[in-house]
Amino acid sequence: MKRFSAIIMRDLRLAFRAGGGTWPSLVFFALIILDFALAIGPDIRLLSRIGAPLLWGSALFGVLVSIDRIFQADLEDGSLEILIATSEFLALTVLAKAIAHWLSVGLPLTLAAGALGLLVGLEGAAFGPLVVSLAIGTPALSLVAVLGAAVTASLKRAGVLASLLVAPFYTPVVIFGAQIANSGPGSGDTSLPALLILAAFTLFMLIIVPIAAAFALRFGQN
Amino acid sequence: MFDLANPEKFFALSRRLIPVMAALAVILFAAGLWYGLVASPADYQQGDSVRIMYVHVPAAWMALFCYTMMAVSSAAGFIWKHPLADISAKAAAPVGLVFTGLALGTGMIWGKPIWNTWWAWDARLTSVLVLFFLYAGYLALWEAIEDKARAAKLCAIMCIIGFINVPIIKFSVDWWYSLHQPASVFRAGGPSIDPSMLTPLFLMALAYQFLFFALLLIAIRNEWMRRRIARLERLEMRVMSELVAP
Amino acid sequence: MTRQMTRQQTRAALIAAVLGVAALATGLVLTALGNSVAYFYTPSQLVALAAPPKNIIRLGGLVAAGSVAFRSGERSIVDFVVEDGRATTKVSFEGVLPDLFREGQGVVVQGRVEPDGRLSALEVLAKHDETYMPREVAEALKEQGVWREPSPKP
Repeated sequence: MKRFSAIIMRDLRLAFRAGGGTWPSLVFFALIILDFALAIGPDIRLLSRIGAPLLWGSALFGVLVSIDRIFQADLEDGSLEILIATSEFLALTVLAKAIAHWLSVGLPLTLAAGALGLLVGLEGAAFGPLVVSLAIGTPALSLVAVLGAAVTASLKRAGVLASLLVAPFYTPVVIFGAQIANSGPGSGDTSLPALLILAAFTLFMLIIVPIAAAFALRFGQN
Repeated sequence: MFDLANPEKFFALSRRLIPVMAALAVILFAAGLWYGLVASPADYQQGDSVRIMYVHVPAAWMALFCYTMMAVSSAAGFIWKHPLADISAKAAAPVGLVFTGLALGTGMIWGKPIWNTWWAWDARLTSVLVLFFLYAGYLALWEAIEDKARAAKLCAIMCIIGFINVPIIKFSVDWWYSLHQPASVFRAGGPSIDPSMLTPLFLMALAYQFLFFALLLIAIRNEWMRRRIARLERLEMRVMSELVAP
Repeated sequence: MTRQMTRQQTRAALIAAVLGVAALATGLVLTALGNSVAYFYTPSQLVALAAPPKNIIRLGGLVAAGSVAFRSGERSIVDFVVEDGRATTKVSFEGVLPDLFREGQGVVVQGRVEPDGRLSALEVLAKHDETYMPREVAEALKEQGVWREPSPKP
């Protein structure tokens, strides 16, 4: 347990300092929103209408650019080898990495989405569903990101490849997440089924990813 | 079956099987295409557009069959370390990618006249597009990892997890209201296709099946030989380096 | 935690946690089953909504028999009714209809719900069912009186 929280704390410290993983994701996220807002031009009503799905898709890209860093630093300084060799349950170590990733990327993106919602003219009632859907969906994004990082951990340059591997698994998250985010008051729709399915997907990934990623990390070692 | 793990036996058998399967595929394609495009009737609603079905539906079946086979092979390679299992999973992937692309492409061509749209983001079409990217990711991962024994294991993990998409594709039209119609052939209560249209469909399905197995065997042999060449090259390098600097 | 857990105890706890999470997730899916990612609403679902949706929606169902009426005017505007056996929705559309569009045919209509409950359609897609047969067979079936109209469930 001490080891578990130590891994999380270490990753969090590395992520939040300059050169860590949090800032590139947030800046990339904001830049995509900025580009879309400028590309769409003066039609603020259009921007407001597509704001929630836009924020969802951009948050997903924010997670994608962070995959590269999950194991790369550990691999370079040799600490990954030590983590693998000394882990009694490697799946738990992976879980700790995933939790740290969510706290340092998923959660900041969720909060930033709320702030960026102002820039795209999101209606007041739409903020709640947006933030709730991201809070439930981003843990699944983080977990799958860790799997993609584990599978490509033995590669020198794996950024694009890892994105290609995890993107198919992001489709259900973005479908149900955006459905919840879109179902603010006035849409007349109830988003409860989508919410339950998104939560279920996150829970399934919570089981599958640590086990699969632990296998992948061991296989990746010589 | 496990006898085939012996490479010599597999090579001897596949050398004889490939021409037979290729010939059967050609004959069945000729018969199926003639029956489907000329001899079978037009549909009471869709008219002649229905003939795209004979290319589209077997391609979609094979896209699912191929991924299922890859997942089974991956699991077998994982559990029993069967030497042919990894190679057959890898060999099937490009074929599956092409079948999936063909199913998507012909589906779009069919959708335009019948649905009045090229594409719809319904559950069936979206999940098949996801399958396409699963194939692409699998192949990209395989190519990126130099050590092929390691590549096989890592690809197997991704392949097995991605298998969850196969039942989603199959049942998407039953679980959710979609623009795509439900299954016509493999469904409770028997096929809802007239026999005069079912015959060319089955001919084409068999043709695709034989084509798949012919391509699979060729690809397995190629992969096997590629690895043998890589081994020999490594050996040569070692011998050379010993000769140069004793 | 004062007492260090043994390896076996940890393993047992992990397995229990995995089973618990899996059961919870399965329960969530079973609760949510329904048409949460439906490509379209049916008329009865649309009627059941508390408030009419503001966004562009899709509506699926069968074109009600005898409901198709082309408005006389300089442009081709068509009115029809979409039904699912339990409820109906009025639709108006201006544009090119698919070839397969006819009464009794399955359609998916994209558009906006007007304040009066009518759907003003931007696009009409034809949805065909899973039966395929030659025209002669369809006519023969109709003559014998064993013809079944395409099922009302779209």
